[in-house]
Amino acid sequence: MLYDLRNSDLRVRWLVTLLLATLGTSYLFGAWMVGLYAGFSTSKVAETYGSSGEAPMVMQMPPETTVVAEHAVSMGEMGDEQHHVDKDLLVQDTHVHMPMYAVIAAALSVIVLGLSMSRASGLALIGLLFAAPWLDFAGMWLTKIVSPRFAVVTLAGGWAMALGYGIVAAVATYQMWWRKQ
Amino acid sequence: MKLILCAVTAALLHITPTVIMVKRQDAVAHLLPGADQFAARELHLSSADSKKLHDAVGWEPPDGVVTFYVGKHQDQTMGALIFMRVDCQHGPIELAIGYDPRGTVRGVEVTKATVEMKPWILEALRAGLTNAYNGMATTQAPNGAAKVKPQIGAMPDYMAELVDKGVMHANAAYRLFYK
Repeated sequence: MLYDLRNSDLRVRWLVTLLLATLGTSYLFGAWMVGLYAGFSTSKVAETYGSSGEAPMVMQMPPETTVVAEHAVSMGEMGDEQHHVDKDLLVQDTHVHMPMYAVIAAALSVIVLGLSMSRASGLALIGLLFAAPWLDFAGMWLTKIVSPRFAVVTLAGGWAMALGYGIVAAVATYQMWWRKQ
Repeated sequence: MKLILCAVTAALLHITPTVIMVKRQDAVAHLLPGADQFAARELHLSSADSKKLHDAVGWEPPDGVVTFYVGKHQDQTMGALIFMRVDCQHGPIELAIGYDPRGTVRGVEVTKATVEMKPWILEALRAGLTNAYNGMATTQAPNGAAKVKPQIGAMPDYMAELVDKGVMHANAAYRLFYK
């Protein structure tokens, strides 16, 4: 153990508790946002990130000459379309989210370093904290460029993120405030 | 310290959620007045036409499809409308650009933006940005940003330039391919 959260200064434990509470709150809102824009089922995730959702009538190759197709639509069909993340937006999302995910995983890993647990458990937990965002974005990219079936990887990433945070928050809170020795 | 700097940088770069500025249905009602029948005209561009569009305005649709919504009343065309997305490092904005039957711009609405961009766009709109497009020919270069620049700040001016860009893309697509 590099330092011992159980016996650390009250201010350190207060900081860690507030950090965990703030991250937990942001995760809850993150889950809410996922529910609003992507969904929690593989089919919804595939629809959001897969190439099929980009344009239902898109031809795979550009036609030899420009083709015009016209069909009647209702006012409702012109309304706000289902949220879809195309390649350009995914590039942007990956660019801005990955650094933040790395910082969050690092912050949680620093907390793990102060927990009383075996070296192997610590390694596994830190591995899980960093694997989650990788799985999340790898799933989105694979869903887009390989197959919608990879949506399950994104779901695994999301759940891994929740699991990693849950373990750190529960163990840290228990060791800091209840199990002092 | 490095960690804190990274966190601050990442937070600053984070794209904020999308907000609806004007509902699409309201934009359709405003830009295609009187229309009660609608058709989606999808133009699947050939490589040559995509290149033509790119040469004209430096943009082509990423999926190769341009969709115009045509509004009719009793089989008479009341105009056409296109939704156009413009990306920047603060996130995407979506515009609705309406055309009257003569082919001039009837109006422009900003339908979507991000939470961060919303106040900048509102400032540009309050300065009369979209009035600058009303009645313009599709051959004209949009200059809404230049018109409102003296009355607004730097970021609203940047947003106005993005709106100009979106209108320019839409006008080129209309001029070149809408028949």
